[in-house]
Amino acid sequence: MKEHDDELDCSGLNCPMPVLKTKLKIDKMDAGKVLRVITTDPGACNDLPAWASKVGHEILSNCEEGDKYVFYVKRGA
Amino acid sequence: MTIFTAHELYSAIEEKEDFLLLDVRNEEDHKRFSIEGPNEVMMMNIPYFDFIEEPEEMVAQVPDDKPVRVVCAKVGSSEFVANLLEGLGRENVSHLDGGIISWGNLLVSKRINSESDDYEVWQFNRPGKASCSYGLVFEKEMFLFDPSRNVDYYLQFAESRGAIITHIFETHLQADYISGSPKIVEMTGAVLVAHDGDYSEALHKYHSVTDGEEINFSTEKGPAVSCVHTPGHTPGSMTYLIGEKYMISGDTVFIVSIGRPDLGKMVVEWAQMLYDTLHRRISVMPDDLIVLPGHYTDWEAEADSEYRIMNDFATVKKMNEDIYSIAKIDDFVTYIQGNMRNQPEIYGQIRQVNFGKLTPCENEQNTMDLGKNECAASKHGGIENA
Repeated sequence: MKEHDDELDCSGLNCPMPVLKTKLKIDKMDAGKVLRVITTDPGACNDLPAWASKVGHEILSNCEEGDKYVFYVKRGA
Repeated sequence: MTIFTAHELYSAIEEKEDFLLLDVRNEEDHKRFSIEGPNEVMMMNIPYFDFIEEPEEMVAQVPDDKPVRVVCAKVGSSEFVANLLEGLGRENVSHLDGGIISWGNLLVSKRINSESDDYEVWQFNRPGKASCSYGLVFEKEMFLFDPSRNVDYYLQFAESRGAIITHIFETHLQADYISGSPKIVEMTGAVLVAHDGDYSEALHKYHSVTDGEEINFSTEKGPAVSCVHTPGHTPGSMTYLIGEKYMISGDTVFIVSIGRPDLGKMVVEWAQMLYDTLHRRISVMPDDLIVLPGHYTDWEAEADSEYRIMNDFATVKKMNEDIYSIAKIDDFVTYIQGNMRNQPEIYGQIRQVNFGKLTPCENEQNTMDLGKNECAASKHGGIENA
């Protein structure tokens, strides 16, 4: 288990909800903090990194845990 | 919120309606596969997450002088963006039911032969794949050629003609799309007709077709299907002639270009086979045969005025003179090698599915099966890999 400051479980939610909820959550966090995002939507796997790189957040890692996809997103400045 | 179906989208493109297609998938997915139809479509790609970040700015980028049709991968994000557009005062906004997958699986049927014939030849065009399957209906029986995965469509079509599907002909083992044959065989008990050259490895039961064989309707009436072995694109490639009028050419003869013989990785051997086929089996066919190909790449060059992918064989030979005029086998191999390009990685897996050796779930099959074909031998006849 990696270190993170907060967690967001988007299991069962489809696009656009995983990205939308991640944005709302991470906007309230301080720069440099890490959010662990769990999603079951395969569509989010391409969209989360594409969105993050555009707005300046960093995906520290992503992995599959069973039928879930887990992303560690570090909030940009 | 107004929704539209993939078929309604196709009709709007065919009828040259003035609208903007707004694709809200991420840029990578948009580049890999986007909507192409019989006429030019005005298209914009703004990912839905850009609308999440900067709603007003993004909406301002969308022209407001025409109806907007929104498309995404499934349906949630297009609905989200369509709602946002409406919330910010835009009118005439709608979104695609079922997302890009429903476009990828869409089939459009067109009657090929004259209404006065006592049999019916139909083209089932799949714009998302740029591929065609075919139906031959006589009395209460239907022969089906190269069906794709949208099996319900074919079954409903047969029912609408008052016919049952009795035979399914494969022109070859497909590498670029998942065949619907096994499922239709399972549901109808139809006979699968295929050549050992491609299917000997397959786990499905099939009738092993031989060169020169004729297959008739059960009443022995109506047009016969003459089976011609035309190896090259694959070793088991078949061309099926309907009543000496129509040539269902699979991936051997296209309206523009021919089927590439390098997908099996034995370029020289298969190219030589294809050369032999073109000269000894194809070129000698009557000029007035109507070519009904398995694929196309360019609507403008390959469709007729009714948006059917067809032309007579004399015209096809003239359009591809650079290929048909090659008089030496070595020059032909050189031509093929000079036009070679990578094949999508997924083709290997699709072959395994079509052999019956791999059975992915529906969702995976939808993803594997999405995207335009890469089957033409000449570069101008296909899209390049990203």
